[in-house]
Amino acid sequence: MSALLVLAITAPLLGLVPLLLLGPRTGERAALGMLAVNVAITAGIAERVAQGGRALGYVVGGFAPPLGVGLRADGFSAAMMLMAALVLLFTGLFAMTGPGDMTRKVKARGSAGMPATFFILLLSLACALNLAFLAQDLFTLYVALELLTFAAVPLVCLEGKAGQLSAALTYLLFALFGSVLYLLGVVLIYGLYGTLDIAHLAGLMAQGTGGATAGAALALMSAGLMAKAALFPLHLWLPPAHSGAPPAASAVLSAVVIKAPLFLLVRLWSDLAPLPLTQVAGPVFALCGAAAIVFCGVVALAQERLKLLIAYSTAAQIGYLCLMFPLAASDDGPWSALAWTGGTLHLVSHALSKAAMFLAAGLIAETMGHDRLSGLGGVGRVAPVSVAAFGLGGLSLMGLPPSGGFVAKVMLLTSALQQGAWWIATVVLVGGLLAGGYVLRVVVIALQHPDSDAASGRGLPDARECRWRALIALALAFGAMLVGFMPLAPLPFLDIGRPVTWEGLLP
Amino acid sequence: MTGDTLSPPLDLSALEPALPVLSEALMVVAIALPLVLAFAALVPAVRRALPHLLVFVPLPALIAALAVPRGLSVLVAPDPFRFTLALDAPGALLLGGSSLLWMTAGAYAMAYLRKDPARPAFMVWWLLTMAGSFAVFLVADVASFYLAYALVSFSAYGLAAHDDTLEARRAGSLYLALTVLGEALLIAAFVMLASGTADANPQIRDAVALLPTSPWKTPVLVLVLLGFTLKMGLFPLHVWMPLAHSVAPVPGSAVLSGVVVKAGVIGLLRFLPESVPLPGWGAVLCGAGLFTAYYGVAVGLTQRHPKRALAYSTVSQMGVVAAVIGAGILNGTAGTFTIAAYYAANHMLLKGAMFLAVGVAMASAPRRAWAVAGVAGLLGLSLAGLPLTGGAMAKYAIKLIVPEGVAGTLLTLSAAGSTLLMARYALLVARSGTEGAPPRGLILPALALAGLALVLPFLLFEAVTGLPAGVAFTPAALMKGLWPVAVGLAVAALLAWKAPRVPEVPAGDILHTLGFLGATGRTIMGGAVAADAVLRRWPVAALALLGVAALVAATLTFAVVPL
Repeated sequence: MSALLVLAITAPLLGLVPLLLLGPRTGERAALGMLAVNVAITAGIAERVAQGGRALGYVVGGFAPPLGVGLRADGFSAAMMLMAALVLLFTGLFAMTGPGDMTRKVKARGSAGMPATFFILLLSLACALNLAFLAQDLFTLYVALELLTFAAVPLVCLEGKAGQLSAALTYLLFALFGSVLYLLGVVLIYGLYGTLDIAHLAGLMAQGTGGATAGAALALMSAGLMAKAALFPLHLWLPPAHSGAPPAASAVLSAVVIKAPLFLLVRLWSDLAPLPLTQVAGPVFALCGAAAIVFCGVVALAQERLKLLIAYSTAAQIGYLCLMFPLAASDDGPWSALAWTGGTLHLVSHALSKAAMFLAAGLIAETMGHDRLSGLGGVGRVAPVSVAAFGLGGLSLMGLPPSGGFVAKVMLLTSALQQGAWWIATVVLVGGLLAGGYVLRVVVIALQHPDSDAASGRGLPDARECRWRALIALALAFGAMLVGFMPLAPLPFLDIGRPVTWEGLLP
Repeated sequence: MTGDTLSPPLDLSALEPALPVLSEALMVVAIALPLVLAFAALVPAVRRALPHLLVFVPLPALIAALAVPRGLSVLVAPDPFRFTLALDAPGALLLGGSSLLWMTAGAYAMAYLRKDPARPAFMVWWLLTMAGSFAVFLVADVASFYLAYALVSFSAYGLAAHDDTLEARRAGSLYLALTVLGEALLIAAFVMLASGTADANPQIRDAVALLPTSPWKTPVLVLVLLGFTLKMGLFPLHVWMPLAHSVAPVPGSAVLSGVVVKAGVIGLLRFLPESVPLPGWGAVLCGAGLFTAYYGVAVGLTQRHPKRALAYSTVSQMGVVAAVIGAGILNGTAGTFTIAAYYAANHMLLKGAMFLAVGVAMASAPRRAWAVAGVAGLLGLSLAGLPLTGGAMAKYAIKLIVPEGVAGTLLTLSAAGSTLLMARYALLVARSGTEGAPPRGLILPALALAGLALVLPFLLFEAVTGLPAGVAFTPAALMKGLWPVAVGLAVAALLAWKAPRVPEVPAGDILHTLGFLGATGRTIMGGAVAADAVLRRWPVAALALLGVAALVAATLTFAVVPL
């Protein structure tokens, strides 16, 4: 029993109280404090999982599953929680009202901190994410997903511009379709087995009594999760939503919000579905992932606006995790463990690097007054730290050392080649090429001399990047690089507490 | 030949028991110093001091090349990271040669760019490229090699694109695109190589030792050859080289042509097995190298700018190096790699000095430019192997590897082509004078490097080949070296007397026939954007959502798995 698990879900909500009762400035500081506490709690959970070598469990109200609701943190979910908490904290720091923000000049440029609403949403996200990573029954997971969506959608339209509203509406509607499919699947499962607890369900499903209904339920839930994760070809809402939102919002949306449904997709097929089923369904997800990497990568290359480019890059990068499915589910022990670690590390390093890139892009757009690539020539001179953060974050996307993306790429490649999955290896390499294309295109433009030809009439603005915010983006990019110092071997931490059971965890 | 056991010319082994840490520290410092300075350039005080320091930064690398015992390896980071450094004979030759070029070209660069407001940025790229180049000659494990190779390749972009003209932008973009492609080829090769070993990040030596019996032997060799010959500029992967090497500022061109292409050479030397014969592969590499040697001369002759002529000469010379390596692995000849590195180091110094000479001539009055052309011509003849110059020693050494026969004859004849191209280069240098007098900051480093380039090969010959230097001075050897140069000079004189009007082949030659690739790329991108717009329409996306659910359900149902 570990009360930390409950605390992880309730603590962020406690931070809402000062935000609602006290003024926005005080509330903002309290919210940041709570996000820091959230990092401490998740770090504590990860530390305990690592120390104990087994999962942590908690049953709400003392009613043991399948009757009650159980929370459970294994290595995989602890890693995800820590990553999400860190990204949320850094984004919160980026969004806070800084020392110079109250001057009129800065306000006129629109670079003041985010409104208090943003911090309310950030705390709600923290709660929803922790719940999604910890909950062990399909209905609580549904609640977590809904909470996540309803906290994420307002982030998109925080400034209330027309384009943002329509993007948010698209996001909301499509996410709701996803929820409906997911819920439908949950209903079918409940009808079949009479329980929603993952550990019990896994046991029941392994006995093979589900038939086609169980398959349909898994398929419906998967499609719902894919819609919420914007996995190709269900990515219609992602580019407008992630590119239109304010930079701090884009960062959390791209870095952590879409990772929760992906996490659940993995949980569904690695913990719930029996292995033979996963081996059958894996290639379908890998195909979607491969299509995402290649197709969205090419579309990203063609973008003319920086934030859209990054948004399409997100749509491409989530494909890597899906490539992991057939590799990780194979019978080939060590190589599937390597794919498992590679996929997870890719998820973590993508979260850090993409947050860094969105924040940097926000600062670049703020400094220049726009984010059209054709007009960004020479931006490296007025926003050097932001460009550095973008470039170093991009290192991870390209899969160049030293970065988490490199380690993840090597692991996925090794696993794919050892298992003879040449097409997956090819997709990984092509994805790296495309990422190199779109990242370097931006870096090259930023390093050029500013366009001073009379035709365009544009020069560099007098404004300079907000230095401390740029340093936060840089810190996130360095975080993604630090992941690159992981040894090139399966990480035992990620296997802690798997397969899913309650044995030994419940009183 | 005793190439493999090449002992350090400056023997400090007596110090070794007393100061074992010294050599290890030297190797680390050689790489770390430029790297740290590049980041320290963020501090204004360091940035101001940097122009004076630049000459001394390569010093640890030079001392390491001279003093560190061969085969010594340093494990900088413990298992499982394995950042390992080691120095072998080819690495020492290239490390030493490059450190000399970095020093002289560094002094030259500070004078050359003295009025350039973007000089600090150039210095940072300079230091990063330097760190990468030293690292690539020193690292011994696969992952660190990839890191070092990426560092030297990507940083060199900053040198090539420094002038930021339209030409430089295009050349730089092409360079980056092909660099990314090269990295993708190599990572695939390295992953397959490492998979054969028990280690996730093995020593290069151990991984390559297993290569001949590896199930992935063919793909690994294909990828390694493609990846590294791309950097060396072997036909038809040479298209970026004349562009990138001619648009950079003069000192940048010198290190690009001198040092950065050698990353490809060391790559081949590290990742091909030396002692196991690979007949087919060796023949292919040798053939491609010989073809490139002639091709570079042919296109280079039509060039009207001395830097472009030099860039094509680099293409041609890297062809020679590839031919030597190919001939060596064809038979598994021991000592091949040391001799190939010796030839590459010779080219490194000569080509660096020749580029620096172009900059001196361009800053000189026409009369003085003729004097510069005299020195430049001598350097060129050394590259072609004129007896009694350093280059002749290098030519003599590679003949030990390439057997008599078709390949040997073609290689000898290529020296005539080189002579011709070098004569053309000297003529272009002579004509490139404008007005004024070059500052001493340009002349002195250029002269120093020219002197080193002409002399050093003599000093290293015996250590590299195991033969006394006298063998290259026998009448037969002298004749053998002389006649190709004489033929080349005769043809040059003939052409100078009655030159046919040949249009200048645009730099990048066959690249200009590949315009359709760009159009295809744009079509694909346009198609993808249009398809994306369709996929993102509501009815399509909603159908896709149901379709995905149906697809997964159908896959599960129809698969022969008991549910």
